[in-house]
Amino acid sequence: MAKKVLLVDDSTTTLMMEEMILKQRTKYETVTAKDGLDAIARAVEQNPDLVLMDVVMPRMNGFEACKRMRSQESLRNTPIILVTTRGEEEYVEAGYQSGCNDYITKPINSRELVTLLQSYLGE
Amino acid sequence: MVAFEKQNGGEIGDETAQTLTAQAKVYAARMRLQESLDQADALEAIREIAANLMGSEEIAVYKLDKEKGALWLYWSFGIDPNKYAVLDVFKEPLVENALEGKILFKNQTAADRLLAGTDRVNALVPIRIEGTVVGLIVIFRVLPQKATLDAADREICQVLSNCAGRAIEPHRA
Repeated sequence: MAKKVLLVDDSTTTLMMEEMILKQRTKYETVTAKDGLDAIARAVEQNPDLVLMDVVMPRMNGFEACKRMRSQESLRNTPIILVTTRGEEEYVEAGYQSGCNDYITKPINSRELVTLLQSYLGE
Repeated sequence: MVAFEKQNGGEIGDETAQTLTAQAKVYAARMRLQESLDQADALEAIREIAANLMGSEEIAVYKLDKEKGALWLYWSFGIDPNKYAVLDVFKEPLVENALEGKILFKNQTAADRLLAGTDRVNALVPIRIEGTVVGLIVIFRVLPQKATLDAADREICQVLSNCAGRAIEPHRA
């Protein structure tokens, strides 16, 4: 059964690009959400194998959504990768404090993204 | 929808990875602009494309006033709008080139800067509607983790040039 990746971003453009990259390079199934609140609901409903989530989003940001996902039994061990435009140390640290497993900076590179996801999900 | 050749698993070289990245980004940029609902959405699309696909959070959209030979700041993100409120075409030779329809990138011209008053500009992208230039997108600095605009970004700028007209003239584009 194909691994399922939940893509979370308030940018339609980014979601389109991420879906295209994963469709080109992997066999992963993708589902999407538009903000942190939507992401939590979709994650509980869809039980993804990995969550790739933007940080800056309306209604609920990625840090908060990550914390809340970690409080859900079913999502406690789901790999969560945060996507940020900020690579500074304090931002990265905030990501890890919220419970994420890894992060990737924008603008996203196809090879970097696929390599990172495959390190958690396999091919 | 364009069909893409699937590369299932396995290692791919840097060049192939870059091509795939470019394809995905160009596709996303084109679809986002073509599907924009109205002028506000088109401007938001430009911001998303610049920030998420190209790695720039400093962008300005100018509308051309041919009679006065000026570009008036129509919308911006991440810059001081007062500082860049108007571009005088007669004092900006590279802007004049861009208004002839040419996309200009930093480090690809003989000049050391694209706008006279600042070295922060990475690209000048004319906005065209049916071949006529009606405005200009100025891409300022890119994010620190990115050195400069690359080949994929240049393709995205081509899409912006051809498809961003609705941001300025929604009834014509």
